[in-house]
Amino acid sequence: MAAPRSTTGSTPTGGAPDSPGPAGTPATRRAVVVGGNRIPFARAGGAYTRATNLDMLTAALDGLVARFGLADERIGEVAAGAVLKHSRDFNLTREAVLGSALSPETPAYDLQQACATGLETVVGLSNKIRLGQIDSAVAGGVDSASDAPIVVSDPLRAVILDINRARTTGQKLKHITRIRPGHFTPSAPDTAEPRTGLSMGEHQALTTAAFAITREAQDELALASHHNLAAAYEAGFFDDLMTPYRGLTRDANLRADTSMEKLASLKPVFGKRLGAPATMTAGNSTPLTDGASTVLLASDDWAEQRGLRPLATVVDAEAGAVDFVHGRDGLLMAGVHAMPRLLARNGLTLQDFDFYEIHEAFAGTVLCNLAAWESEEYCRERLGLDRALGSIDRAKLNVHGSSLAAGHPFAATGGRIVASLAKALAAKGSGRGLISVCAAGGQGVVAILEAA
Amino acid sequence: MSSDNAGVGRSGGAPVPDDGARGGAVPGMPGEGVPDDGASVPDDGVPAVPVPDVPGLAHAAGMPDAPAPDEPAVELATVPALGGLYARGLAGSARAAATRRTTVRAGDLPDTHVVVRDVRPHADHLTAYQHLLGEPGADALPAGFVHVVAFPVATAVMVRPDFPLGLLGLVHVANRVEQRRAVRLGERLDIDAHARDLRAHRAGVTVEVVADVSVGGEHVWRGISTYLAKGVRLAGVRGGGHDVGVDAAATGSSAHNGRAPQNAGAPDLRAEWEPPLPTGRWALGGGVGRAYAAVSGDRNPIHMSALTAKAFGFPRAIAHGMYTASRALADIGPAARGEAFTWDVTFAKPVLLPSNVNVRVAREGDVWRYDAWDGRGRRHLTGSVTPPR
Amino acid sequence: MTDTYLNLVNSGFTKKLAKQLGLPRPAVLRRHSPGAPLVPGPVLVLADAASGKDADALAATLLDWDLDVRRHGGDDRYGAVVVVLTEVGAPAELGAPMLELGGVLRSLAPGGRVVTVSRAPSDAAPAVAAARQGVDGMLRSLAKELRAGATGNGIVLDDGVGVDAPSAVGALRFLLSGRSAFVDGQLVHVGSTGGAVPADWDRPLDGTVAVVTGAARGIGAAIARTLSRDGATVVVVDVPGAGDALAKVANEVRGTALQLDVTADDAAQRLLEHVSARYGRLDVVVHNAGILRDKLLVNMRPERWDPVLAVNVTAPLRITEALLASGTLGPAPRVIGLASTSGIAGNRGQTNYGASKAGVIGMVRASATALASAGGTINAVAPGFIETDMTARIPFATREVARRLNSLQQGGQPIDVAETIAFLASPQAGGINGQVVRVCGQNMVGA
Repeated sequence: MAAPRSTTGSTPTGGAPDSPGPAGTPATRRAVVVGGNRIPFARAGGAYTRATNLDMLTAALDGLVARFGLADERIGEVAAGAVLKHSRDFNLTREAVLGSALSPETPAYDLQQACATGLETVVGLSNKIRLGQIDSAVAGGVDSASDAPIVVSDPLRAVILDINRARTTGQKLKHITRIRPGHFTPSAPDTAEPRTGLSMGEHQALTTAAFAITREAQDELALASHHNLAAAYEAGFFDDLMTPYRGLTRDANLRADTSMEKLASLKPVFGKRLGAPATMTAGNSTPLTDGASTVLLASDDWAEQRGLRPLATVVDAEAGAVDFVHGRDGLLMAGVHAMPRLLARNGLTLQDFDFYEIHEAFAGTVLCNLAAWESEEYCRERLGLDRALGSIDRAKLNVHGSSLAAGHPFAATGGRIVASLAKALAAKGSGRGLISVCAAGGQGVVAILEAA
Repeated sequence: MSSDNAGVGRSGGAPVPDDGARGGAVPGMPGEGVPDDGASVPDDGVPAVPVPDVPGLAHAAGMPDAPAPDEPAVELATVPALGGLYARGLAGSARAAATRRTTVRAGDLPDTHVVVRDVRPHADHLTAYQHLLGEPGADALPAGFVHVVAFPVATAVMVRPDFPLGLLGLVHVANRVEQRRAVRLGERLDIDAHARDLRAHRAGVTVEVVADVSVGGEHVWRGISTYLAKGVRLAGVRGGGHDVGVDAAATGSSAHNGRAPQNAGAPDLRAEWEPPLPTGRWALGGGVGRAYAAVSGDRNPIHMSALTAKAFGFPRAIAHGMYTASRALADIGPAARGEAFTWDVTFAKPVLLPSNVNVRVAREGDVWRYDAWDGRGRRHLTGSVTPPR
Repeated sequence: MTDTYLNLVNSGFTKKLAKQLGLPRPAVLRRHSPGAPLVPGPVLVLADAASGKDADALAATLLDWDLDVRRHGGDDRYGAVVVVLTEVGAPAELGAPMLELGGVLRSLAPGGRVVTVSRAPSDAAPAVAAARQGVDGMLRSLAKELRAGATGNGIVLDDGVGVDAPSAVGALRFLLSGRSAFVDGQLVHVGSTGGAVPADWDRPLDGTVAVVTGAARGIGAAIARTLSRDGATVVVVDVPGAGDALAKVANEVRGTALQLDVTADDAAQRLLEHVSARYGRLDVVVHNAGILRDKLLVNMRPERWDPVLAVNVTAPLRITEALLASGTLGPAPRVIGLASTSGIAGNRGQTNYGASKAGVIGMVRASATALASAGGTINAVAPGFIETDMTARIPFATREVARRLNSLQQGGQPIDVAETIAFLASPQAGGINGQVVRVCGQNMVGA
């Protein structure tokens, strides 16, 4: 089944269009997106309350296997991850493979880059395919805010570990006496940045205030997200991108009937103690979400042998990071910084795209990203450019809805975006799509897909 | 006081007897909480045994930038136990109170140096400190950790009978650390502490306690802690005086380190101040004082619990000043601050626990500045980290 | 979906009790299991005086299958009796073979089979036609007399179709086997010598590609499994909302899942795209997707009427038409629709469903010529009461009545429907076209 391999790495291995790699790099074969599968995203505490990350990732994987007839197939590699992860899930993706219909001889690894996890698995696996190391791959991500790990307090953990290390009963008893009632207060993960103590929403509120993004602009973006997602469902866009799970057939967060009036009636939840007016509400921020997504990647040969039509090529990607710790940049602005490097390497401008998928962590995130690219000052001073990257055609932005409507199960968002964009490009039959996903820790990953 | 030597390796010689600290919680120092009449001194009478005075062992060489070695020095075989020092501090304060010394003269400050050689910080102690403050677990000692290591030696200066100010009345208003290079785990530290510069303050008298740390004769670190003795007058000075840490003084904060008063750039903490956009927030739980006490050995009751803090006039426990300053230093981070720098802090309003503190850490030119303030925009501390000139 | 009563009267103390009380005792049906004998004992081949030659030919076929074949009744416990009446010339000639059959019926093994082989009456001389038509009534009556899971079915050959025709042989094997467990009292019409005997009777669908709509659960899932078992590569189709169950079926049969609403405008196109891209061919289409929206006509609303017609008959019509026009179909395509006994006999509250299912029968009959010219066949299966999630929701008393109201005194299983469909999909069924085969245990209602 494996395509003939090149031993030099410089010879194309198949009949694929031998597109040159990014400037200056040797030509490699293409990595294509063949398709995707996700389960509908549920609001935390909703339909998937009792489902674990393993349950959801396995379900998403099995749906993908069914869609593409991969039962018993040995895939080159499966990579996925979760942001909120139990210690027992140390080998989450491999366990999901073992629980799925894939061949148990399919290797897997876990990856974690906060909310960019899903996109980064696509990038990493695509590179392996381009290098000829593997012919097929499944990228993915999953997160459960409902089944988040709760850990015992540090002092209790220290005592328990000491008890485990103790050799005699006497020693164990001695350690047991160190336990105090207060030790039993469990600690749940929060979304606060470890180095600043500010939640992601508060960070975005700072950036939103700095860019003077209005409440109305944010609500408009949220409204568009809901309407676009609802329209995509109506058009059957997700029929071959999604497999229902636990009785859910659509993203539970979707409010097809929302309106500016309804959004305007919501009270701000973030940035209430800043000097500027608080503009971020539950309506223009993503809710805590449960869900999983997967993307099938392959070489052209592998896809052709199975009668699978490539939807899009994974052209290139770039990760970025910003110094939010010292307030130099906004926490969720890393994609802004990675973008000019990606564009320059591929000889493209920000306007050379037919679709833009900018992950809606918050409406303010997208709007700050756009504002930064439009700002001469920001582009000169912070990005070191000669001039602004400019504005984009908003009609091409998140055309099938994004995280504000669909929800945002952290590590699953990348897979959702890549599969949707690849399908949109395949439907158009030509053109390019640009992805930007921001992530905790001041990180971001941007990527280019091209119609295959 | 079981951990008063925590993590500090004994490098040889007989341990100094823990003179008089009998295990129980002895009110710490410096602090404002203890009434000046010394009424809270335990009845069982902590014996005011003087620090062993062994002039012959004074260091004779090294520390080129350190004070001239011709001054009288007391060399201790090991870092003294803070518990014992506190006990002596109490006794000294009681003594000071008894003699009702409300006026001091510039010349009252002895030139005595207290010296401890060959101090080797323990890895576990360092790790505990790093974890608490959010410093990476590197082998370089954070500047605030060196302060913790040197603190008992500096305290030994202040509990000597010849120190003119009562330990318990002192308020830590500012702190400066000049770090020449990073001090690393495994290096043997020679610590030399002395007091200097009695100076009139708007609210009393300030004194600087200087701790110098050398490694193999190379002066690597200096800490200058400015303490305010409220209500004490410096003979020959009328009114006025400097204002460093004025809010801290006014509110009776304690155990804050601060910026040396000779620093012309000392911020005016009474000026109107508009809080900037924060870059972070410290969610300080009720146990922060106890946690820092465990790594620093500073178990001043005003930090330990609401109950003990109330006994000294605070509504709740307050955070150690050096804890907050060290958090700010950690927020700047090792890469940004470099290995050599001057780290200043001036303390204003004490941080009552638990509380959420807004923080801004930002670079201005080549200087890192930081501020921390409460939900109502009142500043707790302000400071900077400056690269070497 | 379990028939508790059936289990009770077939095991332990309750079995004895039921026997003594004279309660009806539905049998555990003999169903196909790989490796099991085709029939549970020797096969007796009987014939009227004129049909000896055909009987010899069939006996030879049975011997080829390594069966123990007898030509005269004895004391054996027969697994099956085949009555060859192909050359019967007048009603009176039916007596001898039938009475001989009557003499051995008591020694028919549980799960045994009686299969008549006769010819269609049309265009024959009146006396011949009367005899041939007589087989029909005789067979249907006999089936109602059989007990212990035994069934009676007939094969009706058109003139010119020999007993050695692939579909004559294929139908005989199907009816003898456990695959036809719930087919009872039916006459299977073989209209041509089309089709081919498979290389491997256990995997007649090897190398073929099949599409099954409505395959997420119930009968559709069983069809997918059965076609897969018989060697087909299966594309399972169901609405997106059933995608999770569909994925499980797809992975189980090592096929692919296609989430598709068959009523969508582009349904046929998407189906064709999927199949031609993935497999490059399509051999079998099973229009299984179906819905119920029961309501008395007096209360009927468009939202209950229209979808039933759209899913159950309009979609199969459109997709079949598109498939025929596409050129994607293989050399011997098989299209199988799902009718229902409700479409034959009617059912209260099911005017919409009855219309749709009778419509399927109409579609099948009218499409037979077109399929034949494409080298293929189109047929329908009409299930009776089948134990599924859907029938499990029927109130208990109604369900009990419904499931006992047939000669086998029990409901069928989804596998029973699937087996018949798999047979109609097979190469050996190539001579069967435009037919409706009921899988109903000889339901008392309807024809």
